[in-house]
Amino acid sequence: MMQPMSDNCRWLLRPDVVCTALNDGAVVLDLRTKFFYSLNTSGWAVAQMFEAGATRSEVLAASLSWGAGSADHAAINTLIDQMIGEQLVEPANNPVAARTEVILTTWTTPMLSKHREPLHRIMVSAFDPGLPLAE
Amino acid sequence: MSRVPTASSLFRQAVYNCGPTRLVIDFEDPGLHESLHGLLSQYDAPWAALGNAIHVIVETNPLPGLTSGITGSYLALQRLRVDRNDGRLVSIGQLGSRMEFEMNAGQARVLVPACPDRPALLEEVEQQFVLLLARAWVQAGWTPMHAGTLVPPGRTSCVLLCGPSGSGKTTLTAVLLRRGWRTLGDDKVLLRLQAGASCARALARRFHLHPEASRWFPEAGDLTDWPRYSRWTDKRVVQIEKVWPGCLLDEATPAGLVQVEQNPAGPALAIIPLDAMETLSALMRQVVIPADATHAGPLINCVAATAAHLRGARVLVGLHAFASPGFAEKLEQTLRRLVE
Repeated sequence: MMQPMSDNCRWLLRPDVVCTALNDGAVVLDLRTKFFYSLNTSGWAVAQMFEAGATRSEVLAASLSWGAGSADHAAINTLIDQMIGEQLVEPANNPVAARTEVILTTWTTPMLSKHREPLHRIMVSAFDPGLPLAE
Repeated sequence: MSRVPTASSLFRQAVYNCGPTRLVIDFEDPGLHESLHGLLSQYDAPWAALGNAIHVIVETNPLPGLTSGITGSYLALQRLRVDRNDGRLVSIGQLGSRMEFEMNAGQARVLVPACPDRPALLEEVEQQFVLLLARAWVQAGWTPMHAGTLVPPGRTSCVLLCGPSGSGKTTLTAVLLRRGWRTLGDDKVLLRLQAGASCARALARRFHLHPEASRWFPEAGDLTDWPRYSRWTDKRVVQIEKVWPGCLLDEATPAGLVQVEQNPAGPALAIIPLDAMETLSALMRQVVIPADATHAGPLINCVAATAAHLRGARVLVGLHAFASPGFAEKLEQTLRRLVE
């Protein structure tokens, strides 16, 4: 696990990390590594902060409006460390777009679950995502 | 491809309706048309409305296409490398075939080089058309999914059968067709979200069955009488309606998922429930997702939203399962529980 960086380091979701929202969270696919992840609703709220770029402090501050308390900071930091460790986010070098407000009605411990096997890098055909076999 | 493709009047034109996409193809070489007819005519499920039309020019080229600069950054396939440059897909094959698809204009050009291994070259050109169609279907709002389908009698909800080629999806489907279940066709379907629900549509109304399956499905007769699917396999192309009349449906609502696995050392049938993560994982592996965020997003959205409504199970099939007493009954009970 990577050590938490400075509270002022701004992180941004990598452009080749694709997120899709669901009723109970989100699915995240890293197009570079082909690994994919599931986020619960609170985890998705945290991840959305990084769509426009956010510091750890800004995420912790926003989490108060979602119903999280100081006792939840450790879990939020763990999730952020996990996203940094998986390289789903990268340091934002340039100013980023204005963030839209992230709304969450029910706070639970944020979770990012990594699926065990990545998708294949080389596939049989444009309609068959299987691993090619020797001919 | 900077110019709009045009074809000489000497070209032979053919039109194929492939699901929601109409292909209008001008062939410079009539022999190529005849060779590709089997592929292009296989998407024979009826669609009332077309979503888009693509004009394709197929030209012969004495030299292989230039491979330099095409890295497979969009898709890396067994025979093709595909890049995307803005609104254009460029695909190059190992044998030098090249396809350029101007996605916004709905126009494509396929260049077919001279090659001593004609069958291999034709298979490569077929893959160029599969790529073209897969992208065209996505443009029409559909997600191509490599999965079989089974619908219980009297229902419109289906079980999606997932697993790699050769895992036994088609044979399992045939087992339940004999018991009154229905299907959308072979293991190629199109999926999309409609009013928050997922809808699966049929594409092709034929199975690819190994001749050995005649042992378990005598109603199919001698399967070697049907045409061969490809030179790489003994599988035959079987018209489903001719063997199991009345078992075809045009669309269904996915409600269950089965991950089919062969288990030669195990019992005839073993069932292991899948949790939500595993169900999502199984479905994600049935869709080709390009390494391009703009094009990947809608596909992931469709797959994830569909998976969220599915009950899943692993179905492990033993070596002599199809001859095992009670196999079909137990399989039927399992799949019924997933959709009810």
